[in-house]
This record gives sequence, structure tokens and C-alpha cells, in this order.
Amino acid sequence: MSWSWDHFMQFLFSPYMLNGVWTTIWLSIVAMLIGCSLGAMLAFMKMSKTWILRQIANTYIWIWRGTPLLVQMVIIYTVLPKAGIKLGVIESAIIALSLHEAAYFAEIVRSGITSVNKGQEDASLALGMTWPQRMRYVIVPQATRVIIPPLGNQFNLMIKTTSLASVISMEELFRRTQQMAQLEFKVLEAYMCAACWYLVMTTLWGLIQKRLEAHYDRPFGPAADTDERKKPDPVLSGQAAQV
Amino acid sequence: MSNMENEVRPVARAGMRDLGPPIVEIRNVEKRFGNVTVLKDVSLTVRTGEVVVIAGRSGSGKSTLLRCIDHLETIEGGSIHACGENMGYRQDSGGKRTLLGDRRTARQRRNMGMVFQSFNLFPHLNVLRNITLSPIRIMGEDRKTAEAHAHELLAKVGLPEKADAYPSQLSGGQQQRVAIARALAMRPQVMLFDEPTSALDPEMISEVLDVMIDLSRQGMTMIVVTHEMGFARAAADRVLMMADGMIVEEAPPEEFFTNPQSEHTKLFLSKIL
Repeated sequence: MSWSWDHFMQFLFSPYMLNGVWTTIWLSIVAMLIGCSLGAMLAFMKMSKTWILRQIANTYIWIWRGTPLLVQMVIIYTVLPKAGIKLGVIESAIIALSLHEAAYFAEIVRSGITSVNKGQEDASLALGMTWPQRMRYVIVPQATRVIIPPLGNQFNLMIKTTSLASVISMEELFRRTQQMAQLEFKVLEAYMCAACWYLVMTTLWGLIQKRLEAHYDRPFGPAADTDERKKPDPVLSGQAAQV
Repeated sequence: MSNMENEVRPVARAGMRDLGPPIVEIRNVEKRFGNVTVLKDVSLTVRTGEVVVIAGRSGSGKSTLLRCIDHLETIEGGSIHACGENMGYRQDSGGKRTLLGDRRTARQRRNMGMVFQSFNLFPHLNVLRNITLSPIRIMGEDRKTAEAHAHELLAKVGLPEKADAYPSQLSGGQQQRVAIARALAMRPQVMLFDEPTSALDPEMISEVLDVMIDLSRQGMTMIVVTHEMGFARAAADRVLMMADGMIVEEAPPEEFFTNPQSEHTKLFLSKIL
């Protein structure tokens, strides 16, 4: 089998393929948004004082993390209709991906929240804040800094995991690649093209993630703050010397 | 630590200050952590404008007592009234106590300011926003008033130029002074200090104590848990000694230092002075 640059380039920029890339992007984003919202809810249920809420969250996480996404997806798409719940391909893909993501994100959020120093809770209590105020103004903003790196990794995984939706005939990048490959039996060219597009997407996300992390890290180190560095402060330079 | 006495300026104290009506009343408080009783039948009345210093070895229950006043800890028996509120509980006519809800307790705490050993500034917010967070978001002050007040308080604690700095850019002493400003921004009736200088390098202790002494001069009611006996001498109306979860001695500073009655106090003073 010989490599054909012509076919490769033709696949790479064909509207059919680009359409698949776009589907992969929005599917990842939508599934991630829903999954993270659900996951955050699960995290708070898991930390709740109410036994039944904790058990619901634990059971959910146990099941969704303990079974393969591929199986979950097929069950949602092919088995649920037999129970009277008919879902389209797109709905099934979104539901499976986001419910799966929620189970993982719940743990990420929970560990982020518990990583915030106990003293922060004391200080916000002493300032007269109620639970929602403590969460909103003090705890969650600090947990975010801890949550962003694993969240970024989850999104990176999500971009690639959407390819599983091809088994229920979701028209995303991977399925379009398969179809392209079969069209003229240029298998290598088609899959190399898919690999390139996945790499482009994950690399771009990597850049965004880096900026997000830097943004949330900024208040935590004097070295990161360029404004302060311009006007040296005796105390600050003393501190910098210690570090 | 004893050299601190030379560094703090003497101020008006015991007897020279007019004390108002009781503002914090602690009655027969019991506190347990599991099987360990950390406060045994503690009673204490603090009057408006009074500065009370609580001393004692670590594990004597002094920090726990202070945290109970702000209801950061629940209590197993007795009651704590502060600024006209029964802190954390509702007591029916039969004397049965019920824990109050989160929102009610949060409102009660707004009458008091608290300063912690580990500063606990919010690291994600700059100094100005640390100070104005609660006034604006919780007390509903408008931003202009709150920020003007914050700048005023920063000047008062000697850090007028630090409004835009983040906590990580400040020294320990500076962070603790910001924490004091943050507590004062709530316009509290009582200030609680939980070992405010214990986490500081020696050269930074006096800058914090100076701020606290100024505060006491202006008539703030203060309950201070500290080992800084220089501060007690300079600013306290009363010094308490705690041991094994009980208040074992209670006297004006002059008497406390020159003529201690309890063995605990004698031992404590011999070690610290």
C-alpha cells in the first residue's frame, strides 16, 4: 500500500471531514458543560450531611465509573427504546458522554473543595457569611485553581472519547474518517488525517488550559505579578530572596 | 518574648477606662471533643470597652473558648450571649437548647470581628477586596463607602499603600494587620483575637501589637488569647489564666503579674517572663 499525499491533503480539508471535526468540537463542549454541571451537583451531594444524598451520589459514581462508556452508550441508544424511551443519535451521544463525565468530574470537584484550607472556612464564617456565600466568594474560587488542571485533562480526554459515539452512528470525526477510508480504500491517509485533526484540537485546548491555569495562579505568587515587580518593595524583595 | 515589654508603649488601662454594660456573657459553658472535655463550667462576663487577655498553656482550652464565643464551635452545655444574641442556639422556656440555622448564626457573627493565628486572608483576592468583600456582599454597603472605609482602615493599621497587593506579596505582620482591618470593616462591637502573633517572626510581633493597643485605646471591646504578656500589661483591663479547661485565675494585670495566686499562673509566668 503506497502513501498518497494527494489523498491525504484531499481528506484533510474536505468539507465532509471538516464537518466531522466541527461535530466533535461541539459534542465535546456540550457533553463537558452538562457533565461538569451534573458532576458539581454530585460532588455537593457526596459532601452533604444527608445520608441518602451521599448514597445516591456514591452509587451513581460507582456504576458510571465501573462500566465502560461504550457499553453505556449502546445501552442508552439501543436498549432504552425497548423500555419506551426513544432517543435520537445525537441525544444518546450527549447523554452518555455527559453522564459518564459527571461521575469523574464529581471526584475532581470534591477533592478541589476539600483542598481549600480549613482556615478559609473559619474566616468566612467569622465574617458572617452563610453557606452559599462562603461557597461562592471564598471556597469555590480557591477550589477552581485546584480543579482547572484535572478539568483540562478531562476535556482533552473528552475530545478523543467522542470517537466512541461512532458506534451509535454519530457523524463525528471518527465515523467520517471510517467512511472516507472505505470510499477509496485509502485507510492510512484517512486515519492519519483524523489523527492530525485530533492533535490540532487537543493542542489548541492545551494552550487555552495553560492560560486558564496561569490566570487562576496569578494571585498566589509574587513572582507571577509583573506590576509589582516593576516597583520593587523592600519587604517583597526580602521575601523573594528567601524563596 | 519578655523583651516585648520594652517595645510597647504604656497606655491608660485598668480603672482609668469607663466600662459599659456587659456585652459578652459566658455562663457555665461545657465543651467536649469526643470524650475529651476541653471546657468545664466556664463563666465569664466581658463589659463594653473592656480588654480581656486570656493566657494559658496550649491545650488549656483558651482558643476553644474564643471560638465558642463566635460559635465556630458548638457547645455541649451552658450558654454564650454576645451583643444581645444567644450565640448559635435557641433556648425554650424549659431550658431546652436547639441549634440555630446557618443563616441566623451567620447574622449573629456579624456583630463580632475575629482575627486568627494563621491570618486566613483570602489568597485569591487583593487586600482591598479582602476587606470589602463582607461589607459589600454580605452587609450590602455600597462599593464607594466600603472602599473609602477600607482605605481608612488600611491607614489605621499602617498599610495605606497595600490596597492592590495580594496576600502572598505581604509579610506575616502585614497580613495580620490586613486581617485586623478586614475584621474591623464589619464595624464590630467586639473583637476576638486568637493568638494573633503566634505565627509571626519576632521582629513583626510589635507592629501587630501596636495596632491592637491603638484599638484598645479607642475603646474597642477586645478578648485576646495571647502569650504576649507585654500586651497584657500595656492594654488589658483583666488577665485570665486558663488551665485544663477552667479559668483558674482572673485579675487586673498589675496583680496578675506581681501577686499571682494560682500555681498554674506562677508556673506560666516563670516560664514566659
